[in-house]
Amino acid sequence: MVRLEHVSKSFAAIKAVDDVTLDIQRAAITILTGADGAGKSTIFKMLVGLVKMDSGTIFLNGQDIGGNYSCLTSVCGYMPEKFSLYTDLSVEENLNFFAAIQQVPLRRREELKQRLLERTGMGPFRHRRAGALSGGMKQKLALSTILLSSPELIILDEPTTGVDPLSRIEFFTIIETLKNEGKTIVMSTPYLDEAEKGDQIVFIKNGCIMRQDSIAGLRNSFPARLFRILPRDNIFEAMAGIEAIPGLAGQAHMRGKFIRYMQTGTENLGRQIPHLEMVEEKPTLEDMYIYYERRQ
Amino acid sequence: MSTPVPAIAVSDLHKSFGHFQAVKGISFDVLPGEIVGFLGPNGAGKTTTIKMITGLLKITSGTIRIGGLDNRKHLAAIKKKLGYMSQKFSLYALLTAMENIEFFGGISGLAPHELRARMHVMAEQVAPDVLRQKIQDVPPGIRQKVALFVCLLPEPEIILLDEPTSGVDPEARRNFWNEIYGLKKRGKTLLVSTHNLDEAEYCDRIIIIHNGDIVASGAPDELLRRHQQVNIEALFENAIKNHGQN
Repeated sequence: MVRLEHVSKSFAAIKAVDDVTLDIQRAAITILTGADGAGKSTIFKMLVGLVKMDSGTIFLNGQDIGGNYSCLTSVCGYMPEKFSLYTDLSVEENLNFFAAIQQVPLRRREELKQRLLERTGMGPFRHRRAGALSGGMKQKLALSTILLSSPELIILDEPTTGVDPLSRIEFFTIIETLKNEGKTIVMSTPYLDEAEKGDQIVFIKNGCIMRQDSIAGLRNSFPARLFRILPRDNIFEAMAGIEAIPGLAGQAHMRGKFIRYMQTGTENLGRQIPHLEMVEEKPTLEDMYIYYERRQ
Repeated sequence: MSTPVPAIAVSDLHKSFGHFQAVKGISFDVLPGEIVGFLGPNGAGKTTTIKMITGLLKITSGTIRIGGLDNRKHLAAIKKKLGYMSQKFSLYALLTAMENIEFFGGISGLAPHELRARMHVMAEQVAPDVLRQKIQDVPPGIRQKVALFVCLLPEPEIILLDEPTSGVDPEARRNFWNEIYGLKKRGKTLLVSTHNLDEAEYCDRIIIIHNGDIVASGAPDELLRRHQQVNIEALFENAIKNHGQN
């Protein structure tokens, strides 16, 4: 639906976004993930025209928008990382206000509002002041305010950061429903276990895209294998043993009673470390992210 | 084999704030050398429980024993055993990382030469120019490293970490857990609260808490088997929903 081509942006001497080419597919969830300062927010801000690109092109449905951001902003809803709600207004008053500034026709307003309150489970809190809501509920209200204009493209900048796990699960369920209704979603998150629920994954570091692919694509092209080893003897001694093998330092880490080990060559660790169990595991997104990050 | 004296023994612990019951009679042990994970939504009672263990918050009823000592009677002795890293990393935002370390080193009673000897650990991990930046300007991963370093200066036996990995990027998070295992190797006991459910697998045992009650506890793989769940997220969601219905 949207394509950024060779997009760059510098702030003084810092290259925040460095020649990024990114495809956002229709009716899918695209997830950008990377450390703080990787350039995720800047990409979103350039997409909606809040930050001017130094160079590059944005295409909407195959057409170069040529600096005419209104054709993009008219079909998108953008929720910044530090979203703004009117804390002294109630949930319903916030929705009324945002519906008014987004020029939602009056006759549709009530129906839309009802649907959003229902969908987010916020109906019982409609008269509560936004400032008195929990973090997770504020997030859901902020999402509702951008959904009032029924955008096709939904841009969410770290919507779940700092939100507790239960609220995060609920928030993602709403996002999945939106996708199933045909909406296009692009969001950033530092939580890689959450990113596993996306369709397209984009790993970003220092303003550059390290990888972008579907989850299945990432897995299929991943050049290393991951093993879970249950050592026979003391796990700390087993770890020290692995660290001492030339070239293998940093390839293994402990997780509970297991050692997880990334095999990048033809070495056979099973022969060298006495173990009770050695099973190949599917690498998680976090494993893949760390693998690529260390090789940058 | 006789069971060892628990490092932390919490028994029928209650905490009320006015009419609100934040913790409703929970009991659990943490054994010496164990890593126990404390999971739950916001407001579940995790921080309240941790603060009662440290003695920062008064117990409404029930007991907490640290290495067999009642923490209401022997607080001074217990404080020497405990290290606590709070959710907001109580570092001074306007001081540099280095100044924070010197300050906390000073109040922990460490002699300046001892502190200098310990600094090499920090210097190996963090570049000197970063240590000279104000703590408010360094990335969350570094801030967390400094906070943990400071918490460990008095060499506590039992370490309580309240959401140490919130907002920390994946690589820093993995390095952090490596450090935790380093502590376990040295025989330390750890109670770690977290919002990252995938970290449950790093722990020997987890305790899931919701609305002031323990809704599930045990070794992560054993819990998944017992509740017939595929992953910790499903287990967590289920434990909390079932609890809501009772």
